[in-house]
Amino acid sequence: MKKLLSIVLLSIALFGAPRVGDNAVKFELPDLYAQNKSLKSESLKGKVVLLNMWASWCGGCQEEMPLFVKLQKEFPKSKFEIVLANIDNEAKNGIDFLSKVDKKRSLTALYDAKKVLPKEYKCPGMPSSFLIDQNGKVVGVYIGSLDEDAISKLKLTIKKLLGK
Amino acid sequence: MKTTSLLLLTVLFMSACSEKLVRVMPYEKEYFAQDKMSLSPIAERAEQEGHIFLIREASAGGESSFQGGCGCR
Repeated sequence: MKKLLSIVLLSIALFGAPRVGDNAVKFELPDLYAQNKSLKSESLKGKVVLLNMWASWCGGCQEEMPLFVKLQKEFPKSKFEIVLANIDNEAKNGIDFLSKVDKKRSLTALYDAKKVLPKEYKCPGMPSSFLIDQNGKVVGVYIGSLDEDAISKLKLTIKKLLGK
Repeated sequence: MKTTSLLLLTVLFMSACSEKLVRVMPYEKEYFAQDKMSLSPIAERAEQEGHIFLIREASAGGESSFQGGCGCR
């Protein structure tokens, strides 16, 4: 009975969504603009990363995107990188929206056609963002769109992580 | 022992089925977000429906303009 219970508990733990303190989910996704290029999560190690799952049809995602563009400008990309994972059924919709908001393509935009990341993170809302530290650990979970106040708080957390 | 294990497995299996059948996750709602899925897909019609609703409820000053319940705007 004890064995069975431990197996059940272990399986529940394995299927649970990553939380603060857990390791971030590893991934390899194509670039939203050029899908022949891809990005591996391993290449982000050593940086503080804000992983954001978004879609062009999601109102909250549209609202927070200009704030992300501003936020990225405040930190060098070598230390802090905003990684967007677009989950539109058609990449074109994501590109159309993002190219209007982020004309200089300052944000790293990936395309997650199979919605792997929101499934892995078991996102309870859209948009969802995860702050990941230099060692690849989740240090913040943000469900719903981030407003100016939330971004200012986030900025402080990033600075703390960067030792500023 | 066998019965308990079987019961636990059945519960796990059933819960997995119900999750797949019922829940539409937030990231799967692209089709629900389309304009044609809204209850009043035509903006002008939605405004008119709102106007009629306010009149029917005999409310004055609802929405953005003053109304006396006469049906004339």
